[in-house]
Amino acid sequence: MSYEMWAEKYRPKSLSKIINQKEIVDRLQSFVKAKNVPHCIFAGPPGTGKTTAALCLARDLYGTGYREHLMELNASDERGIKMVRETVKTFARTRSIGEIPFKILILDEADNMTSDAQQALRRTMERFTETCRFIMIANYSGKIIEPLQSRCAPFRFSYMSKEDQDRYLRHIIEEENIKILDEGYDAIFEVSEGDLRKATNALQAAASMGKVIDPETVYSVIGRANPADVNEMIKTAMKGDFLEARKQLREMILKYGVAGSDIIKQIHTEIFRSMLPDSWKVTLSEAIGEIDFRLVQGADVEVQLSALLARLTEAGQELSRGG
Amino acid sequence: MSTTWTQKHRPQTLNEIVGNKEAKQQFLNWLKSWNKGIPKKRAALLHGPPGIGKTVTVEASAKELKMELVEKNASDYRTADAIKRFAGLASQYGTLFGGKRLILLDEMDGVSGRDDRGGVRELTKVLKDTRSPVVLTANDAYDPRFKTIRKYCLIIPFKNPTVRETVSHLKRICAKEGIETDEEALKFIAERSARDVRSAVNDLQALAQGKTRLVKEDVAWLAGRDRNEVIFDVLRTIMYSKDSWEAKKAVSSSDLDPDMLFNWIYENTPYHLTDPHDLVKAMDYLALADIYRKRIRDTQYWTLLRYVVDFMSSGVAVSRQRSKSSGWIPFRFPEKIRMLSRTKGERALRTSIGMKIRNRCHISATRSAKEVMPYLKIIFENNPEMAAGLSDWLDLDEDMIEYLAGNKKQTKTIISKLE
Repeated sequence: MSYEMWAEKYRPKSLSKIINQKEIVDRLQSFVKAKNVPHCIFAGPPGTGKTTAALCLARDLYGTGYREHLMELNASDERGIKMVRETVKTFARTRSIGEIPFKILILDEADNMTSDAQQALRRTMERFTETCRFIMIANYSGKIIEPLQSRCAPFRFSYMSKEDQDRYLRHIIEEENIKILDEGYDAIFEVSEGDLRKATNALQAAASMGKVIDPETVYSVIGRANPADVNEMIKTAMKGDFLEARKQLREMILKYGVAGSDIIKQIHTEIFRSMLPDSWKVTLSEAIGEIDFRLVQGADVEVQLSALLARLTEAGQELSRGG
Repeated sequence: MSTTWTQKHRPQTLNEIVGNKEAKQQFLNWLKSWNKGIPKKRAALLHGPPGIGKTVTVEASAKELKMELVEKNASDYRTADAIKRFAGLASQYGTLFGGKRLILLDEMDGVSGRDDRGGVRELTKVLKDTRSPVVLTANDAYDPRFKTIRKYCLIIPFKNPTVRETVSHLKRICAKEGIETDEEALKFIAERSARDVRSAVNDLQALAQGKTRLVKEDVAWLAGRDRNEVIFDVLRTIMYSKDSWEAKKAVSSSDLDPDMLFNWIYENTPYHLTDPHDLVKAMDYLALADIYRKRIRDTQYWTLLRYVVDFMSSGVAVSRQRSKSSGWIPFRFPEKIRMLSRTKGERALRTSIGMKIRNRCHISATRSAKEVMPYLKIIFENNPEMAAGLSDWLDLDEDMIEYLAGNKKQTKTIISKLE
């Protein structure tokens, strides 16, 4: 029996199959009709169909042999200026054979590109417009430098409506013959927070257990899929056990490969949700911001974040004294 | 008495040089071949770790073959001009007085690729056309800077002599100095020097000069004061002296690698500065030191190192204000380093699985670690059939399957379901 990740298996293969982002799809289809595509930026939260839309656009444009005219690059993996100088340029400069004279280069997670690399892209985009069109995909278009933004048609992807997500997931459940309780289904919805990839992956992992899916299965899947329990680490630190918290941090980074930026983002969210006095929240936020910036500059994730853990330990002590 | 033993007892003949028998012979044969006309390779590159006899081999050979040795070391031949000047020497084989000339360019590692690029280019020309044999020595012959030079050279590798060979050299020196020795003591010195003969001789001089007898007890104290002891002393001063100057001095006089020391301080600080208020200050200083380490890596401005040292020594020392010392706490090996090496294979495996996922799922390898791999793990642990299908689809190898499945038994089950 053959298996794929369902997120791929059920990824729409044509613009006409995309169930959400109606206005965007309409405009992309008009590009296909005109056989001309401008440089684009697709921005929006994860799992809302940005990559899918780009792939569908290419498929509709070139037909089955679309792979020959398409290159996908991932800025998270190759984010430096070298990527632009070598890979991008080599691909962009050669002419495509066929009816459509240009190729498409998808730059996924483009907001992770260094600013040097983005600067280098500026001229490349202009010089090779004849032979190559760029689709830059990002969570935040703000992280893409102005000069690039001004060269691109912007598309803002928003979270899928509940009905659209429902339609998509129901389709998978039917096709794959999954037995799921209504409460289990609701739980999938709840934990995926509008991210359809996450919902689909959670559904597949839950289904792999071979039982009727109930809420407990869903929560245990999500729990196990997030070994990086930032909350737990914060609690440990605030309880006063800095050493244990540092150990948890170390495991997250080294054993589970969690990115420092993800950890700090979550700490930031949790601090503002917490019971800490407001003045403490602001003080901590200042420290978090500084450390976030240092991580962007490439400082050591563990050393920087443990300085933050020390702050949390101190905050916890003050809190227990005051209350 | 004032000369060092390494100079005083420098081998004068090839026989006196311990180890590297083949290398010595190869070099000598090449030199002799010049008598029958200019050989194909007009230069020889002797390479290997420091202190094992590369330069001495050249000197002794020249003496044995009665050649005039013209020596240049790293400080002399940096620029293209300097090379041109000495190129004149190389243009003829014989000397004014009918002897033969051997040109030695010592310590090639000292030539900087960037500043001396012209020099390296000029040197390449000389090596191509020289009419006198030219010998180069270097620690690392495979340094990219030597790429073009290498083509024109006979490459002769030198290795560390064995402990026994090193001991025999030390013995010869002791005999000449009239010192009675104990085999064990010499063996200890040889081992400690990691078979760097030159440094073994230096150690020997430090331990035995002025004595008539050298026994095991005389050298044993070397072992007692090993590197860990030095580290512990530095850590103690930093954690407990409360004195910025003392702490700084402890670091700079220790001669320990600052990066390694940083990891030791970072590991141990929270065990000793137990008050959260103190800890915040100390960890802030360490984080600051880390920033400067990064700046040095980026800019190569090594002068910034002094601030790294300030923050990690004085910074931590002055942070102690409220912490009480709670008896004796042992210093610990940096867990971060231990864990980095322990998880190295795992991390590499995770990256390669990430690449496989990227090929299929239109998501970066980096993000797949967080967004796809955890779900794959659950599937691989629970559903061998689906796991087998996915392994096939993602093109995973056995190691990758085992990483996701978590144990050997499940891996076997999954593999049995493949094909």
